[in-house]
Amino acid sequence: MMFAIINARLVDPASDYDGPGGVVVEDGIIIEAGPDIDIDACDEIIDARGRILAPALIDLRTAREPGLTPDGETMGSLAAGAARGGVGTLMLAPNARTPQDSPDSLAALVRTFSDHGVRFLAAGAATVGLAGEQMAEIGLLARCGAVMVGNGDRPIADSRVMRRVLAYSSQFDFWLASRPADAELSAGTVALESDWSARMGLPSEPAISERIAIERDASLAELSGGKLLIDRLSTEAGLDALRHVRSRDIEIAATVAVAHLTLNETDAGDLDSAFRMDPPLRSELDRRALVEAVINGEINAVVSDHRPTPFDDKGEPFALAISGTLSVETLLGAMLGLVHDGQLELIDALRVLTCGPADLLGLPQGRVTAGAPADLILIDGDIPWVVDADALASPRANCAWSGRRFQGRVLQSFVGGINIHNHDG
Amino acid sequence: MSRAEFSYDFPHRHLLSVADLNPVDIAIIFERAEVFLKRNRTPDKSSDGLRGLTVLNLFFEASTRTQGSFEMAGKRLGADVVNFAMASSSTSKGESLSDTARTLAAMQPDILVVRHPATGAPKFLAEATGLSVINAGDGMHEHPTQALLDSFTLAQRWGSVGGRRILIVGDILHSRVARSNIGLLNILGAEIRLCAPPTLLPTDVDQWGVEVFHDLDAALVGCDAVMALRQQKERMTGSFVPSEREFFHLFGLTHERLEVASPDVLVLHPGPMNRGVEIHTRLADDPEISLILDQVESGVAIRMAMLELIGTNIRKGYGS
Repeated sequence: MMFAIINARLVDPASDYDGPGGVVVEDGIIIEAGPDIDIDACDEIIDARGRILAPALIDLRTAREPGLTPDGETMGSLAAGAARGGVGTLMLAPNARTPQDSPDSLAALVRTFSDHGVRFLAAGAATVGLAGEQMAEIGLLARCGAVMVGNGDRPIADSRVMRRVLAYSSQFDFWLASRPADAELSAGTVALESDWSARMGLPSEPAISERIAIERDASLAELSGGKLLIDRLSTEAGLDALRHVRSRDIEIAATVAVAHLTLNETDAGDLDSAFRMDPPLRSELDRRALVEAVINGEINAVVSDHRPTPFDDKGEPFALAISGTLSVETLLGAMLGLVHDGQLELIDALRVLTCGPADLLGLPQGRVTAGAPADLILIDGDIPWVVDADALASPRANCAWSGRRFQGRVLQSFVGGINIHNHDG
Repeated sequence: MSRAEFSYDFPHRHLLSVADLNPVDIAIIFERAEVFLKRNRTPDKSSDGLRGLTVLNLFFEASTRTQGSFEMAGKRLGADVVNFAMASSSTSKGESLSDTARTLAAMQPDILVVRHPATGAPKFLAEATGLSVINAGDGMHEHPTQALLDSFTLAQRWGSVGGRRILIVGDILHSRVARSNIGLLNILGAEIRLCAPPTLLPTDVDQWGVEVFHDLDAALVGCDAVMALRQQKERMTGSFVPSEREFFHLFGLTHERLEVASPDVLVLHPGPMNRGVEIHTRLADDPEISLILDQVESGVAIRMAMLELIGTNIRKGYGS
């Protein structure tokens, strides 16, 4: 089976190409890409009519719900949301509900990965129960299919444990994803320390909590030779720290969650529980600094940090609500919002969603080039739509973007050359 | 221009934050509270203004005086008052607040009086149930009736709090009373000073229309009233001051320290009071200076005024 997509605006951040072009795909692999392709042997030709052809997105931070959760997000609904949102590869990260700290359960999880069209990856827990005390069986987790480790939302407070996990995981060439927060400074907080949170009387964490954690973790990575992944940088103070430590010989990378690029603390100004996030939403200055960092290439990957929560309306006032938002299906739409606003070029927005995360993990996809897997999306950048939390693929409804007007939709998604999503209407 | 010269109806069906009130609203509340204050001193305290309405006291935090004050206020107005001790109820069995709200709303009460450890819980319940809600304290956020009764108590002495210099001293950081008082006193045109160690002050508090001090003797100069706040140990993680002894030495109110204040200085305390920590016991009991019992008395009158104004709007289907 050989097919081609022609007459597209081909946007391939890996080769820094944004111009007319197309691809030829044979047996799930891209065999030709660019402005001049030979389509004579193709069985099927898709005319993109000037629409955007890009690599399918790679999302390094999503969460499932534990097995046997009634009415919850299943692997199938997560995959469906991803396909609709143009995400071809998604990482399941450990979190409190699904710590992914046991080789047995991780192996069982990985066995279900092939059934869903999209590509799943799994990160193992860095410490048992994510408690930050005892190292998890990282070697066995690697054998069972983990491609990196992380400690979920909880920073590893004990510097000695952090040092050892960094050192130990380096033998598997694993990134250690670490939430940049000083555990004590941030304990029990639900908001950024700011004028707004002080007036609201919310327990809040100072932005420098992130700076302190990055400086410590980077120093420990330097000492141990480990690979440190700053898991959701969210403040300008943290970005400053990242810039400083990058001048040293440290393997360090950083992700940013789409919420912190597109929302700020005042979105929760009405204490809407939908905007309860972890890390909390930050100031507009922080948000702008992060957008600048994406433009400057300082951010390796933007992640959805998709997190289905069990109560439709989160069920509790802001300070007590479960944090997190559905975001895998709205990831691209939110990023395109920045493009339409003129804050970000399309190619820069796509870089942190495709080849950026691919290069971190050495994945072959995330690029439109001969020899790469045919993980592709066709986007109409102009279609307007209103996000409706109830209409998303997830059975949960906790979406911070619900009600927002987006511009741009994924028309078709391909993974390994197989069409896994067609936009109707 | 007095209120009689134009038509303005009290527009609220909730009391969630002092920021929702304007000076005329406050004047209306004080006017009604004054009527109730006088009537409460007579043997004929009861009226039937709220007969037929049900007031639900939902206290998710233990409270004696505020809950008792609301209960007495509701009963004196003829309402059916039901107390739900939520601290020991279904929420500790894992029910979400929105489920609790739906359950309570099904009992068809009219007014919810809510105290909750989380900021925004009263507003959340107002939205979830569609019922009228009076905020009786939410986390570290607001305690509007306390601020109203504090200003009302002072206004009873002075006629008005506008232009007066008022100092709030103690644990401002964890205090919803301080936040509501700062908001209300600013609306009423008072000059507000705060005094606390830096560990007990909120971020950027100097932008709240107040003057900030760390030295009590400097802060007290020329003050017409002083509000002492207790340390909210239940909201503290770790230590914010080294000891109670040191706190009293630096921030405790005594007769001697008040000598630099206005000669007619008044002292308030929202209670419960820690004698010898934030206030000297002799000062707390000095009837010339201490308004602590006046505050308690005003509290019932202010809460009657609020319940009546809100109850009237519920009856008329008026207000937002």
